[in-house]
Amino acid sequence: MRPAPTLSSAFLQPAGEALPQPLLALRKQRGTALVDMPLPTRKTENWKYSSKHLKLSDELASPLPAGSASTSVAEDGYRVVFRNGVVDSEASRLPQVDGLSVQRFADLPDADATALAERLDNTLDSKATQMARLNSARFEDGLLITLKPDTVLREPLFIVHEVTASASGSAYPRIYVDAARHSQMTLVEEYLSSGDESVMVDSVTEFTVGDGAQITSIRLNVEGQNVQHIGATGVRQQRNSRFESHCVGFGGPLRRHDLQLRLEGEGAECKLNGVVVTQGKQHYDNHTCIDHMVPNCNSEETYRNIAADESHAVFNGRIHIHQDAQNSIAEMNNKNLLLSTGAEIDTKPELEIYADDVQCAHGATIGQLDKTSLFYLVSRGIDRRDANVLLTMAFINELVKQIPVEQVRDSANERLNQFFDHTFREA
Amino acid sequence: MLSIKNLHASVEGKEILKGINLEIKAGEVHAIMGPNGSGKSTLSQVLAGNEAFEVTSGEVTLNGENLLELETEKRAREGIFLAFQYPVEIPGVSNLQFLRTAVNAMRTHRGEDEMNAAEFMKLAKKVSQQVDLDPAFLKRGVNEGFSGGEKKRNEILQALLLQPKLAILDETDSGLDIDALKVVSDGVNALRAEDRAILMVTHYQRLLNHIVPDYVHVLAGGRIVKSGGRELALELEERGYSWLGVEDEEAAAH
Ligand SMILES: Nc1ncnc2c1ncn2[C@@H]1O[C@H](COP(=O)(O)OP(=O)(O)OP(=O)(O)O)[C@@H](O)[C@H]1O
Ligand SMILES: [Mg+2]
Repeated sequence: MRPAPTLSSAFLQPAGEALPQPLLALRKQRGTALVDMPLPTRKTENWKYSSKHLKLSDELASPLPAGSASTSVAEDGYRVVFRNGVVDSEASRLPQVDGLSVQRFADLPDADATALAERLDNTLDSKATQMARLNSARFEDGLLITLKPDTVLREPLFIVHEVTASASGSAYPRIYVDAARHSQMTLVEEYLSSGDESVMVDSVTEFTVGDGAQITSIRLNVEGQNVQHIGATGVRQQRNSRFESHCVGFGGPLRRHDLQLRLEGEGAECKLNGVVVTQGKQHYDNHTCIDHMVPNCNSEETYRNIAADESHAVFNGRIHIHQDAQNSIAEMNNKNLLLSTGAEIDTKPELEIYADDVQCAHGATIGQLDKTSLFYLVSRGIDRRDANVLLTMAFINELVKQIPVEQVRDSANERLNQFFDHTFREA
Repeated sequence: MLSIKNLHASVEGKEILKGINLEIKAGEVHAIMGPNGSGKSTLSQVLAGNEAFEVTSGEVTLNGENLLELETEKRAREGIFLAFQYPVEIPGVSNLQFLRTAVNAMRTHRGEDEMNAAEFMKLAKKVSQQVDLDPAFLKRGVNEGFSGGEKKRNEILQALLLQPKLAILDETDSGLDIDALKVVSDGVNALRAEDRAILMVTHYQRLLNHIVPDYVHVLAGGRIVKSGGRELALELEERGYSWLGVEDEEAAAH
């Protein structure tokens, strides 16, 4: 038997020494633990459909040179710009809000860095997020966002993650959000790229959501066709907190997002919406996992995949209701639309229920556009393209409308239109 | 206006229309009656361009133009409108958006400016009152959860908005209560004009009291077996189809 391929040692040489000592030490320790890390293969359950798209050549191990990138949705308002995983303070505009602090990892005093080092990775299941461990060994910078109790941020905070692909390499953006009790915030993460050399983005964002806090996380993935993106988001929720996630992603050679939530305090609730659109030979893989650890929590999850041409979308939604989590309500719904016979969608709901008093519902469907509906629309003189667009939008409209930030909705709609122009062009 | 010659059509390899001949002139109203399964809806769908049905021979021209060569949307823009026997429910597409897209597609085709949302809303409200449909129905998904009668009124609403040259009404009177029948017939009568024609499929003579046809045809076994004036409808109502030598379709199949 051939030994499983391991991560090349080239990946274990982090760049950027500007971090405080405790974080450098953490990085080193995580790196050591990665030596001989087997890479995901077809036999790795959580990478079954995606391992063949994961290309980790040594060129990709290099850090990326500095550069500037493309247009963002964040034209006005608060924003922090990451370039190739490093915060660009000059391009950032930070709010002066009492109770809010947004700090670069590099600027943290040692004591704070020590406290952070103890918490990093705590929201993620390390076994299920192999590539997030690489981020922990490689991050060059990062952002610590802290909300003091009762702090309410009225405007969204945009994080613009840009990568400049003028040479091959990889970037490791990292964010840690600590939202204390009854604080509120909307965080928009936008992933962009410029240039067309082959690059990899390995991002990790973590949230700890205190009692009664309300966090909305929006994620827009619109990088180029040369960008592999493997991202993980980890969330831990305390009593009566609410976490809302809206992910909109357009495909690439590999897009992978692991979203893991732990409902640890009674009365916590989460709502996860996701829209994925793929075309050409693109690949997109969403893995979500919700752990109901305690009684009386709600989770609601709605994901939609649309795959055209020869693209491939994957949805794996796991809900784990622990033994003590009586009176849990968990709803998961995944619908999929195939726009061509060459496209493929794999969906797998995974329910593990150990409590007996729970309400769980899950549904997954895969279908095509309905011919009768299409005929009805065109029989009214409606253009065939427009009819297809109406029917496709009908499939995701609800989710797009719910995105609470207008710029993101507009940007998503604009991207969708490009997708429609490509997919429903006149034959 | 519409000329159908020896039209044959099949679905899934089974021949349904077996040589239809029909001439409809501008200004005329034609009624088609006939037993269940005789091919009335098939004829309607074929005229509108449903690709589920294959035309195997024959020709259809609209004002001299070969209709069968045109795609469905082009036929609609040339003035063909089909009120479906079973209007399609499309959740997620709002009725208003659907109607406005359709009206604007027609306007663009005619070289007119598109209507903006406000202008269209005004028009749509007016026309929904004409068919006695609460404007709240404009906000719902296309036909989504509409009752049978509401769906039929929504079809007439579309006809009134799109102002077709040839309106084909496939059992638009079925499932309507007496008041709704009046509303729908008034709507259809409002469409009657010198330069338009109406082809309506119905099982009931009562509709023909409201919309008086110039001709009545009996479609049976995929052919038109008898044509006459409106008195034919009365006769059919009284005597059924058997005196025409038309068997029950089910029985004919055995
Ligand atoms: N998509 C289809 N697949 C198979 N058979 C079909 C299809 N559509 C119609 N048919 C068959 O064609 C025949 C004619 O159907 P059609 O709907 O045209 O009848 P109709 O005259 O409109 O009847 P009704 O009065 O009940 O509406 C029927 O035997 C029907 O079962
Ligand atoms: Mg019928």
